Amino acid sequence: MSETKQLLNRLPNDIGGLPADPIQRTDHELEPWEKRCHVLADVLDFHKIINTEEKRRGVEALGAEMVGKLTYYERWIAAFANILFQKGILTPSELARKMDEVAARWEDDSLERVP
Amino acid sequence: MSQRDHDHDQDHPHAEISHSERPGYYDVMETAVRELLVEKRLFGADEIRRQIEVLDSRTPALGAKVVARAWVDPEFRARLLTNGRSACEELGITFYDDTQLIVLENTDTVHNLIVCTLCSCYPRPVLGLPPDWYKLKAYRSRAVSEPRVVLAEFGTNIPDDVEVRVSDSTAIVRYLVLPKRPDETDDYSEEQLATLVTRDAMIGVIPVTVGSGR
Repeated sequence: MSETKQLLNRLPNDIGGLPADPIQRTDHELEPWEKRCHVLADVLDFHKIINTEEKRRGVEALGAEMVGKLTYYERWIAAFANILFQKGILTPSELARKMDEVAARWEDDSLERVP
Repeated sequence: MSQRDHDHDQDHPHAEISHSERPGYYDVMETAVRELLVEKRLFGADEIRRQIEVLDSRTPALGAKVVARAWVDPEFRARLLTNGRSACEELGITFYDDTQLIVLENTDTVHNLIVCTLCSCYPRPVLGLPPDWYKLKAYRSRAVSEPRVVLAEFGTNIPDDVEVRVSDSTAIVRYLVLPKRPDETDDYSEEQLATLVTRDAMIGVIPVTVGSGR
C-alpha cells in the first residue's frame, strides 16, 4: 500500500490496531488552565454548541503536524476556536483582541506587584 | 505516517504553577474564548464554576462503590449489567452528559478491557478523568490488536482458556469493567470491598486483589 493511501484511509486520530511502543504508565495532575479547558468542553457540549464528535473532528482537522506537536488540551482549545469561527460564533480578530486584553491584564497585575 | 508519540510532552509531572508565572499562549486562549462566550450570553460564568465542582467530585471511588454494591447485591448487579447508567443513578451518581454506560462483567471465562482508539472517551461520571496513558498512542493502538501483550505489560497474564474482549468507547457509549471479586473476601463489608477496587481494575488492565486498592 502506498504511503498516501494510508493517509486517506486513516485520519490522525484513527490509530486503533497500528503498531506502537510499549505502554508507559504515565499520568499528571491537570494544570489549572487544562482543567478549565476540560470544563469549557463540558459546558459547550451541554449547550449543544460543540459536541464530543465535533470536538474530535475539530482536533483531526488541525492536521497531523499540529496533532503531533500540541499537547492534549492545546489541541482541544485550538479546535474549539476553529469550530467557533466556522459556526460564526466568534471571529478570528475578535479572539485576537480578547487574547491581547487577557495577556495585558496579567502584565498590569504583575506591574502592581512590583514594590 | 511518521508520527512521533505526540503526547510524550505530557509524560512528566508538571511543576507547581505559581500565580506570578506568565500564562502560556493556550492558557490565554482558553480564558479569551470562555470570556467571549460568556459576554455573548451563550452560558454563564457560574456554569463553569459549577462544572469545575462536578469535575472535582468525580473520582474512581464512585466506580468502586458501584462495583462493591454489585458484588454484594445480585439484584443490583443484574440491573447494572442491564443498564449501567440507571443503576449508577440509583446510587446517586448523576450523569451530567448524554452518555450511556455499558458495564462489562469479568468472569472465569471472560476478561474485559476498555479503550478509546479514536481519542479518550471514558466513563467520566463514575471514574473521573482518564490517566494520561489511556489517551496515548501506545495503549490506543495496541489494546485492540494485541490485548494480551498489553495486559502483560501491566503485569496481568490472562490464561489462554479465558477469552479477552476489548470494547472501544464512543462519544455516547462508555464502558466500565466489573472486575471479579477476589477470593477470601467473604467476610468483607461492602465498604471494605470498595477500598480494594482501583481505577485500573475498572479499565480492565489489572485484577482486583486483596492487596490492591487505596
